[in-house]
Amino acid sequence: MLRKDINELLTQTGPGTAMGEMFRQYWMPAMLAEELPEDDCPPVRVKLLSERMVAFRDSEGRYGLVDEFCAHRGASLWFGRNEGSGLRCPYHGWKYDVTGQCVEVPSEADNSSFCQNVKLTSYPLVRIGDVLWTYMGDPAKTPPLPEYEFAQVPAEQTYTSKRWQQCNWLQAFEGGIDSSHVTFLHSGGLKSDPLFKGAKGNEYNMKDTKPFFEVADTEGGLFVGARRNAEDGTYYWRITPWVMPNFTMVPPRGDHPVHGHFWVPIDDENCWAYSFDYHPVRALTATERQAMVDGHGVHSKNIPGTYRPAANMDNDYLIDREAQKRGETYSGVAGIAMQDASLQESMGPVVDRTKERLVPADSGIIKARQKLRKAALALRDEGVTPPGVDPEHHRVRSAAIVLPQAESFLDACRDAVTVQPGVRQTTV
Amino acid sequence: MTVARTSQAPTPPAQQRQQEAHQQLSQCARATSAYESRFRIDRPIVPARAARVVALDERAVAVARRVAGRQWAHARFYACEGGDPLDPVLRRLDGVPAPLRQVLTGTDVVVVLATEDSGEAYAAAIGRTCWERGITTAGLVLGIDYEAQDAVAALRPYARVLLPSADESDVLELLTALRV
Repeated sequence: MLRKDINELLTQTGPGTAMGEMFRQYWMPAMLAEELPEDDCPPVRVKLLSERMVAFRDSEGRYGLVDEFCAHRGASLWFGRNEGSGLRCPYHGWKYDVTGQCVEVPSEADNSSFCQNVKLTSYPLVRIGDVLWTYMGDPAKTPPLPEYEFAQVPAEQTYTSKRWQQCNWLQAFEGGIDSSHVTFLHSGGLKSDPLFKGAKGNEYNMKDTKPFFEVADTEGGLFVGARRNAEDGTYYWRITPWVMPNFTMVPPRGDHPVHGHFWVPIDDENCWAYSFDYHPVRALTATERQAMVDGHGVHSKNIPGTYRPAANMDNDYLIDREAQKRGETYSGVAGIAMQDASLQESMGPVVDRTKERLVPADSGIIKARQKLRKAALALRDEGVTPPGVDPEHHRVRSAAIVLPQAESFLDACRDAVTVQPGVRQTTV
Repeated sequence: MTVARTSQAPTPPAQQRQQEAHQQLSQCARATSAYESRFRIDRPIVPARAARVVALDERAVAVARRVAGRQWAHARFYACEGGDPLDPVLRRLDGVPAPLRQVLTGTDVVVVLATEDSGEAYAAAIGRTCWERGITTAGLVLGIDYEAQDAVAALRPYARVLLPSADESDVLELLTALRV
């Protein structure tokens, strides 16, 4: 359980909140690059950390993320005309560049300097990999750009999707470090999902449904090791890294691409789940890429033209009780992503953690909450930069490995859980 | 046009529209609405865990003493005094001896605290006894990692959870989260 005030501290990310200020220390995924596919394309509404903005790509290919509303009369710039290196409000023609600087106010005299004094709040928007990243904190403290491996490998080795999840970011994130639900909720997927099936590790997963956990502190977050019995004298370990505040990876299976997530707050009752798959040493095959586009693995099948999953709360997640009876799915909901989302959304927009009954197996979640709280308060009270800002912290990998029983996963896997460009992932 | 008469006050159109819209929602959308959240059963949760916290060495005992000073429902705190490694002698923090088997009677979770390797054999004995009795065990190694590597290794086969680089606040957080 968590006290009400701590639950509020961890789940509120708007401007001026402790956790909101902490999130504003990091580069965060703001949108997929595919959302702004070409110069002068239509602008896109973006809401992050309870701030409404509009993103656009100008005539020179520069990305901008600015306050959604025109400084003149407050009309939404989503209706703006993206033309001539700026975004023009169609109401009275005020025009802004990618920094939010007003560059034209047609009603003013030709030589007027009025527009120089008008600037919308804006944030940088930078493309790394398939993602456009933003930093919403103090410009004077802008950290180095992120260096997550999924966004650093060549384009043919990586794929990222996103989906809208209708609950607080913390609920979604906590699923990302909760290894013990896999054996139950995702058991159908281990047998049939094209991006999961066939790995030797799946057999260990299914044979031993009661994993043991070791939770190890790192400079940037945690490693959560889940171990199950393997052959005589050995354990099968699945190691999940968490980089603060909201990056998690899933331990790999066989030679399948490695996957993971960013859980980005939209507001306090909604978040984006960015889901990626990449392979450190080879291109994704056409079959793998198609499976991701089709919503397999950690991805979702979305309503065309949107990032809303086709199975969502408005259609009861297309629950299929017959498929559940047949053993095709454990919960009746199809797809790994929506199996998680359906249960996390069912808790309500912000779950009341004062009502929980946690068990020792939830220690990863307990420790993560503690680290988030401590970091948010240290930033608020003493100005301490939180873990996970330093790109060195981003260079982590998940791993799956069989080890002799006496070995500590941390000792045995130091190299395996560190990014080594050109080196294959450690997997079973 | 005839207007149906009822004895009830007419529902204001806005409210009626809201009710109709609510009824048209899917089960899941309706169930997660703010309106429905008001009907969640809200009874106090009775602490259900009878936890025993066992400190294996001197520094761990100091931590246990500070943590024990807080208010707990069913948690009891012990220091491992040594003795036969197969049947270690525990003492309550006030010094009263307490045989391990007696301490474990009626408990369902044991939290073992260690800061060094001196308690390795006792860690194994406690872990094994808990295992035999179906008691969930958690091991917290306090302080710098590797000072208690052997104690961690001894606990590993039995402890459902190990935190190999914990600190005092982890003990508090774990016990609080477990509602002990």
